[in-house]
Amino acid sequence: MPVWKNLSVIRKVVQLLAFLFLVYGSVFVGFYSADKLSGAFPVLSCAYDAKTADYCVLIPLQHQIGHGLGPAIAAGKFTLSLLLPILTTLGTFVILFVLLNKAFCGWLCPLGFFQEVLGMIGQKLRMKRTESLDPKLVDRIRPAKWLMLGLLVILFPLASGLGFAGQELGDPFCKICPSRILTSLAAGQLNQLYIDTSSSGYMILSIIADTLFGLILVLSLTMRQPFCRICPMLALHALFRKVGLVKLVKNYTPRCDKCGLCAKACPMDIREIHTSKEKDILMPDCTLCGRCVEFCPDKGVMALKYAVIPIKISDPHYFKERNKAQKKWEGKQKPSRRVKKD
Amino acid sequence: MKVSRWVGITLAVSLFSFTAQAAMYWSPAPAKHGHGGHDRHAPKVFVLSEGAGAELALITPKPNQIPLQAEQGRVTIKPTGMDNYHALVATRDQGKGHESAIRYVYMNNKPSGESPSDIMAYEKSVLEIEPAPYAREHWRYYSNTEAVFVLRFKGKPLANTTVLLNTANGTIEQLQSDGEGVLTVLLPEDFSAIKAGRMGNRPSEFVLTLSHSEGEQVFTTTLSSDYHINPEHWQSTPLGLLTVLGGMALGGFITVRRRRRKEK
Repeated sequence: MPVWKNLSVIRKVVQLLAFLFLVYGSVFVGFYSADKLSGAFPVLSCAYDAKTADYCVLIPLQHQIGHGLGPAIAAGKFTLSLLLPILTTLGTFVILFVLLNKAFCGWLCPLGFFQEVLGMIGQKLRMKRTESLDPKLVDRIRPAKWLMLGLLVILFPLASGLGFAGQELGDPFCKICPSRILTSLAAGQLNQLYIDTSSSGYMILSIIADTLFGLILVLSLTMRQPFCRICPMLALHALFRKVGLVKLVKNYTPRCDKCGLCAKACPMDIREIHTSKEKDILMPDCTLCGRCVEFCPDKGVMALKYAVIPIKISDPHYFKERNKAQKKWEGKQKPSRRVKKD
Repeated sequence: MKVSRWVGITLAVSLFSFTAQAAMYWSPAPAKHGHGGHDRHAPKVFVLSEGAGAELALITPKPNQIPLQAEQGRVTIKPTGMDNYHALVATRDQGKGHESAIRYVYMNNKPSGESPSDIMAYEKSVLEIEPAPYAREHWRYYSNTEAVFVLRFKGKPLANTTVLLNTANGTIEQLQSDGEGVLTVLLPEDFSAIKAGRMGNRPSEFVLTLSHSEGEQVFTTTLSSDYHINPEHWQSTPLGLLTVLGGMALGGFITVRRRRRKEK
């Protein structure tokens, strides 16, 4: 299969370009461009990265709640105009979300790309991969992204602004975000990899951040997208997923019940895409990577569409070629120790 | 070697004494009530030291020039209706002496749509110290880190020129630009009382003073800014690295345990 026809390869190229732009972009478009572009690409690219060309939307959101809304409510000076910056931030997010939908996650996010690259390294090192997590475990993990959004991005900053919590909780998601460490390290800075001893609150948050980063480094080698499953951006996207122009659609056939290859291919283990009889199968956890469409063996059953324009439609010929390419890439998997013993 | 060092220090001290008397510079007015709250749209007050008779102006990001008046030595900058960096400029011409003092002030308001690069590059005086670059979101000048500037005279780089650095904490240093007019300043670690945490420490001030002569005309300019205690005093990178390794070990443990369970 020619690489330019392989959707996964095309996506990796886009991810690489997005990573270079988001992490090192200021080198090309100017040091202060991030101030202008801020919020325009609401993925996890961090303001602490000295070379970034963009800031993650979660930074202004936490600050506007923690520094603006919270103190104003505490002082009894709440006016609707205080909501304007928050609505502007969310508005920018929604406009771009309408244009690209959850493809932000699967096509642009630097942390998502980093995890996928680690996964590819794990494959090449012949490390035994867990292709699909246990459904019970997936169900237990799923609410975590809502807790991350509700607690770390909204409630804790608001509590801090109201004076009910310390300043440590003014922007708690940024304090634990592995992308802050990743993008600053990629820009040659060690200053975001630290344990903060100034207070017990800061110390706990920095321990969580560094431990989480270490966990992702190892888990990504054998497990698909470990952090994406708990990312608050996934939850924020999920809130607006019905308004985006990029759609994932399915024309259910009885063959779907027996197949399930789409669910196996899904890096987020969304098994509902296999069982769903709905037309719109864009689930809250979906990152619009398009793997389910690639690995659907039936013609026209699944499709990735931009409004009404099809981007990729499932096709048996493509499926065969894509499978061959995947097997060639993976090579022979090393048998596990227990299998060897047997 | 020692003699030349002593000569250098003596020269620096004497130059500093001179410029401290003669060169004007901006600094923030002391806050009346401790920390001063968190109203980002409140007017900002600055003091121009040694600035008697100077013309004052605020240059907006567009750039538009707004004349300012000092009241009892203080200059109050009200919101201009746009955000981003503004340049606070004082100029004074006395015979053959031409002076300027520049300070960049961040204002919160509606987006100006202009890049701070433009206001930095905009020629505000004949002789100028341009930050290259100035701090942006989540950035500050920190002690024990390098800050880079470009010296410009009539818009052109000023190579191999001496600049004086003095800080409110008492550091005086003589520095020199390179062949391309680039000045790299290692901001001194000169804070005496250090508390753990960013909020517990107030920033200090540094002033860069540059003088240059052309014929009988003497040009002097200053650039002032605040700088903060380096957080490395309470943030440990080695401990951070150890914790990442701990996280990796935990990840390895989880992976192995999950695999063994699956195999069973």
